Amino acid sequence: MEDNGMQVRSRFREILTAVAGTREDQVRATARTIVREPFAKRTWSELAFLSIGALLAFFGIAFVAVTLSAGMVLAITFFGLGIIALSVRGARGFGGLHRQLARSYLGEEIEEPDEFSPRPGFLGWLQSSLRDRTGWRSMAYVGLKVPLAVLGILVGFAFWWDAFFCLTFPVWGGSGNSPAVYGLPRVIFPNNFFSGLQTGFFYEFGVFLAGVVFFFAAPWAVRAVVYVDRRVLRVLLAPDPVAVRVRSLEQARAQTVDSSAATLRRIERDLHDGTQAQLVALAMRLGMAKEKLAEYETLANHEEPDPDLVRQLDHVRQLVDDAHRGAKETIVELRDLARGIHPPALDTGLEGALATLAARSTIPTELNLSLEGRPTPAIEAIAYFCVAELLANVAQHAHASRASVSCTEHGGWLRLVVRDDGTGGAQLSRLGSSSSGLVGLTDRVHAVDGRLDIASPPRGPTVVTVDLPLHA
Amino acid sequence: MTAPLRVVIAEDSAVLRDGLVQLLVDRGFAITGAVGDPESLRRSIERDRPDVAVVDIRMPPTFTDEGLRVAIELRRLHEGLGILLFSQYIETRYAADLLADDAAGIGYLLKDRVADVSDFVEALVRVANGGTALDPEVVTQLLGASRRTDSISVLSAREREVLSLMAEGRSNAAIARALVISDGAVEKHVANIFTKFDLPVSQSDHRRVLAVLRFLDS
Repeated sequence: MEDNGMQVRSRFREILTAVAGTREDQVRATARTIVREPFAKRTWSELAFLSIGALLAFFGIAFVAVTLSAGMVLAITFFGLGIIALSVRGARGFGGLHRQLARSYLGEEIEEPDEFSPRPGFLGWLQSSLRDRTGWRSMAYVGLKVPLAVLGILVGFAFWWDAFFCLTFPVWGGSGNSPAVYGLPRVIFPNNFFSGLQTGFFYEFGVFLAGVVFFFAAPWAVRAVVYVDRRVLRVLLAPDPVAVRVRSLEQARAQTVDSSAATLRRIERDLHDGTQAQLVALAMRLGMAKEKLAEYETLANHEEPDPDLVRQLDHVRQLVDDAHRGAKETIVELRDLARGIHPPALDTGLEGALATLAARSTIPTELNLSLEGRPTPAIEAIAYFCVAELLANVAQHAHASRASVSCTEHGGWLRLVVRDDGTGGAQLSRLGSSSSGLVGLTDRVHAVDGRLDIASPPRGPTVVTVDLPLHA
Repeated sequence: MTAPLRVVIAEDSAVLRDGLVQLLVDRGFAITGAVGDPESLRRSIERDRPDVAVVDIRMPPTFTDEGLRVAIELRRLHEGLGILLFSQYIETRYAADLLADDAAGIGYLLKDRVADVSDFVEALVRVANGGTALDPEVVTQLLGASRRTDSISVLSAREREVLSLMAEGRSNAAIARALVISDGAVEKHVANIFTKFDLPVSQSDHRRVLAVLRFLDS
């Protein structure tokens, strides 16, 4: 028993020494922090964040509530969808303001989400707006910010107000004209405490002491609310994880698309510099041989013809002729093949390449082209093959007498329109079954998030519109 | 015997360059230079003043349309220098650029054409002498791109053949040989074409090429 008591006492002493000794610095540091905190810049920044944030929250929720409900009511009409889209776009704006606020007053470095990049046209804008995850997440924050602002006012502001109230109590206490009391003092002190009936030094001193406690506690109360807000805005106002993932996948895909375009270009160049040049040289030599043989034949026929020699010479000439023709045909085939891999005219831009395509078309084709810059090679190649395939389709199926190709750029998108005055009635599914080229084309267009639309009423005209981004 | 035509060759593929040299020497041309890039071509022409240059369109450094650009520049610098552009592909816009000013002393042929040695040599001589040599493919494209479909459809099949050959830059005699008809018949067809197109008849071969091309292009 004795031993036990001794042990407990010595243990207790050890702890005391430890606290007093090794923790002394830490205790002092904590005390210093507590004393300084009400005067720290950070404290007032956070208070400013809460105040401005509350104001923003008010306007934000008002905007969202009005637009969203109006949109919902009108949602059966097209108009309603437009209003909802506007609401999402606006919420994105409010999200940006909140993010800016958090950056300025809390030093919260939240990464900016990707800019809103709508598809071309009003429908594209509508669809992109309604599907804008960043916008919807911002809207969620605008909604959540309301309870957060209320909490901030209740807790954060209440503490400051209470501190002010209690610290000044000795000045006005007992005079009967008590200011309004909210928050914690209401809970802590009895109801009739502030009525002016209870006075006396100890009361006043007690209230003053409570004021001191409130004063030093207030920064931490504010901080606690701000902490919750921080957690929420870090999640909702940061780039959407799905969007981040999508973007990294898009980048990876763009790299794949670009590198495959570069590979195709290299293959074409290798063919051009190697095989095609060799073949042309071969055909040329065969051509020379052919003409030399013809000369010899004439000579052999002029002098006393040796029937055997003439026959043999004729046979050789046949062989060389065949080889010559074969070489020439191969050159043409190889050229078509190489052009299908990567049309070399694309290296100097879409304009020249499309001009040749339009000129080669069997249907008279007008070309209108206005591009400011140059899309990436991969996009140029896709655009080229789109036009090639579509013109081939016009020639094969449309019974058209005229076609036109236009290639314009607007808002970061390339728009190709291939039009013909043919019989119409073209459908992707029907064209698809008759031309595997168009299906492959749709795949290529989709692979870069492009779009291919066919408008082809019976009796025509057929208009095919392809939208491509300027880079994959 | 007249002095041999002096030719410079610019072609970056060594195989083809050597082949061309061999062919042209064999056919009695004097080769003043055989180079592989536009810069050497400029120097070679500056030094040797050849009658005609055979120029590959795709050359270093970018392998796109260097040959075309140097050809347009050389035409400005050296009056009377014939230029035969030589390519694996025919591009409509290149042809338009090349023929923008004048068709005299200009040729634009697919490389394949060298396989038919005599035709190629004939085209080269034509270009060296200030004539025109356009690849049938060029003519097909120009006809295809032309908005004058109404005028062209008025021509008879034979007249269209004559038009194509004329646009290639061939003389009446050459057209007659190619179509196996008489010179007189060719002259009649040519006159018909010009009447139907409402163009003044022109004597010189390259002028009438230009007239026809302008008409098709307008």
